[in-house]
Amino acid sequence: MNGLVGRPVERVEGHAKVTGTARYPADDPVPGALHGFLVTSTVARGEVTDIDTSAALGHPGVVAVYTHREMPRLTVPPFPYPKGFIPLQGTAIHHAGQPVAIVLAETLEQAQEAASLVQVRYRSEPPRAVIDDAGQQPYLPPPFRDRPNEFTRGDASRALAQAEVRVEAHYSSPTRHHNPIEPHATTAHWDGDRLTLHETTQGVNVTRGVVATAFGLPADRIRVLAPYLGGGFGAKGPVWPHTIVNAAAARLARRPVRLVLSRAQMFTLTGHRAEFRQHLKIGATREGRLTAIVETTTAQLTTTEESIFNESDSTSTLYTCPNVHIRQEGVRLDIATSSYMRSPETTAHFGLETALDELSWVLGVDPLELRRRNHTDIDQETGLRIASKHLLDCYTTAADAFGWSRRNPAPGATRDGDEYIGWGMATEAHTFSAIPATASVTIGLDGKAVLRIATQDIGTGTRTIICQIGADALGVPITDVHAVIGDSALPNASLSAASATIASISGPVDRAARTARDTVVGLAVADRRSPLFGVPVSDVETRHGHLIHTRDQARRDTYRAVVSRAGKPVETTGSVPNVPGHSYGVVFAEVRVHARLGAVRVTRVVTAHDMGRVMNRRTARGQVLGGVTWGIGHALMEHTVYDRATARVVNPNLSTYLVPVCADVPSVETLFVDRPDPSSTALGARGFGETPITGVPAAIGNAVYHATGRRVRDLPITQDKLL
Amino acid sequence: MPNPPHHANTHTRRTVLKSTTVAAASTALLPDAASGAASPAAANPGDVVRVTLSVNGRSRVVDVEPRVTLLDALRERLGLTGTKKGCDRGECGACTVLVDGERIKSCLTLAVMRRGSEITTVEGLADGDRLHPVQAAFIRHDAFQCGGCTSGQIMSAVACVREGHTGSEAEIREWMSGNLCRCACYQNIVAAVADAAREVRR
Repeated sequence: MNGLVGRPVERVEGHAKVTGTARYPADDPVPGALHGFLVTSTVARGEVTDIDTSAALGHPGVVAVYTHREMPRLTVPPFPYPKGFIPLQGTAIHHAGQPVAIVLAETLEQAQEAASLVQVRYRSEPPRAVIDDAGQQPYLPPPFRDRPNEFTRGDASRALAQAEVRVEAHYSSPTRHHNPIEPHATTAHWDGDRLTLHETTQGVNVTRGVVATAFGLPADRIRVLAPYLGGGFGAKGPVWPHTIVNAAAARLARRPVRLVLSRAQMFTLTGHRAEFRQHLKIGATREGRLTAIVETTTAQLTTTEESIFNESDSTSTLYTCPNVHIRQEGVRLDIATSSYMRSPETTAHFGLETALDELSWVLGVDPLELRRRNHTDIDQETGLRIASKHLLDCYTTAADAFGWSRRNPAPGATRDGDEYIGWGMATEAHTFSAIPATASVTIGLDGKAVLRIATQDIGTGTRTIICQIGADALGVPITDVHAVIGDSALPNASLSAASATIASISGPVDRAARTARDTVVGLAVADRRSPLFGVPVSDVETRHGHLIHTRDQARRDTYRAVVSRAGKPVETTGSVPNVPGHSYGVVFAEVRVHARLGAVRVTRVVTAHDMGRVMNRRTARGQVLGGVTWGIGHALMEHTVYDRATARVVNPNLSTYLVPVCADVPSVETLFVDRPDPSSTALGARGFGETPITGVPAAIGNAVYHATGRRVRDLPITQDKLL
Repeated sequence: MPNPPHHANTHTRRTVLKSTTVAAASTALLPDAASGAASPAAANPGDVVRVTLSVNGRSRVVDVEPRVTLLDALRERLGLTGTKKGCDRGECGACTVLVDGERIKSCLTLAVMRRGSEITTVEGLADGDRLHPVQAAFIRHDAFQCGGCTSGQIMSAVACVREGHTGSEAEIREWMSGNLCRCACYQNIVAAVADAAREVRR
């Protein structure tokens, strides 16, 4: 063991990223590739009545313009193709921004201009853009991915009626868009009925499966490549229609085609966090122990699918409460399909953690103390004891670092010049999945190891952690280990999403590397030419690329010597299942609110998290910094605006859809409990990435209340709501 | 009337795009325009001009339509894909490059406007195997995650240090706020810029 796992190892792809040599999917050179550009609908509901492509076809450099008239008929895949329909298959229009044609040209500029020359006529009907305009009662959609949208435990309405103390409130949040810096890009290259896709995807195998279904091809005819990804946050988890439309166009044109979405197109073609309403009723004892939670949520759905992505997992599992009734309802609108976005439960979590703060004021109990009183080590859904949960340690660690005990509880009591100062906190929690995966390890004749697995590094540090695990298991320096990922031809792994990556792939990588190590040791002790010949394998340890006799350190061999004598590389695979679970934490925030302008600044944040074993403190810290910043964006600025007459996005760009910039965020103090989870086969680690952010909007809102005495239940907390 | 050709560098992308045909015609008259571009009257959409750009110390010849941005010339014609396109509207900063030492967003300028300028992209920062102090500081401080904004952040940071806008953490935050990082490594970017500034000053 080198002890690399757990250390803050620098990212192994750092050099490639700071020198611009890391090739992202839109960077890969594909000789002879045409440039595609989508023509999208200007109306939100109705149908295409005519498309005139003659002017576009007459534009210099244009090779083809395809509409529903030319496109082959394709099969609509199920989730993870969430859209419910494929564009360019008929005349129906379901949302503004829906593709109605694709232009292929020799240059990007030619394709873009020609797209503006395609004349489309529509029959349009008045659309519904926001929940207020739905014109229908919310309804309970059928189960999504086998998960019912109604959940009950005990008798919540009776317990609520009998509760000593009740809190009832409505919380809401608008549509928000992921906005990774890298736009979605796809390059389709057909060779007969074999397809290669250079794809911005969080899941090469998921993309392969969806595209195979759409085209009715065996999956092994398709190869998907995503060696690097310029941010996903969920937007590149599912497969979106531009990938399928572009591949179909490339097949018709018999040329490779590259399609990169414009920033504006990303606001209608790649999912978003749905507009969300939450009606929450909480019952408690006078001591603050929860006795009932009744929650009804309403999320935006579309006319083509009924998927609820804003889950209420936190409401049912975060605290001990015997009586819970949750209904996840929806209304159908004429806007684009929503999807998963970094920490889907954040929307419902905001209401829960704000309601607890409201309860704390009603009871006169410190908000942190209230959460301690409702803490549980019992899984609220199964009734079983959770193997490893150190949330109480998180509370203590972060509260001490923040100085929470010095808080003056009175709202509006602390003022510094023109600004009120407030402190707030919230619990953080997130589920993680565990998806079966297989890794392979090859030790070459040069003694170096190549780890292969069809996972992705979306910026979270996966590539680095794979190398740490492999180097430790083999007993070689990390510089002798190379990870090959982001290719569907590699051993199977799934999405980099649902905080599942580390939980899913760590065990397989470790197992494959340990098997490779044992194989090489076996070769050495059986080889008369080795100084270790005849030594029992249990007496051989591996360190720094050497195989060493544990009791006679002078007897040693090297990976390079052993494998090169054997004359062929050593190849092994590994596969280890894991179980899903939760990671936990807490966030404390300080805000300053301008007394006359209502401007909110977040000036201090302290977090503490329990994620089982911390595999790499450096990359884990990055996830916290990112999550806190996303939470600040959600709490204070991010908001997609729809024109209610046309159901078009009014702010489909980065100058009016505001995301936090460098000057918007304070330094964050990130603390970790770092205790291995004995139930995890991922070397004691749990899935973590999406945990930080879940509590941040509520912590900020609670701090704003503490600063001003004003409770804002509708995000984002913009200045107009405080004036 | 559009500006005469020798004032081409004062064009913004917008004014040029608003008069594409005239701009194309004007550019075709320039000394290093393609000889085959014929007279101004013959300039049509699709016509290209030959432009010589100085990129990372090398002279590069590229045939582009006058409307081609510097960003697309770098990425699509010269194979310099280290510079990224995030928004194509000057909002995100991912395409930041240095032109004559100043940071600009390469999506907001046309290739034809940058003849005679010295253009530096992220590929041109390191001295052989020796990273630029800003690049090294970005690795040391973990100032990136996905890397989608990193080239732009680094180019912006190089200029920020040179401009002397590194007097305090708050000053760095303000002067680095034209470059969005959605992974939100801001805290680490600030640390990297401050560290690189100290090293450059030594």
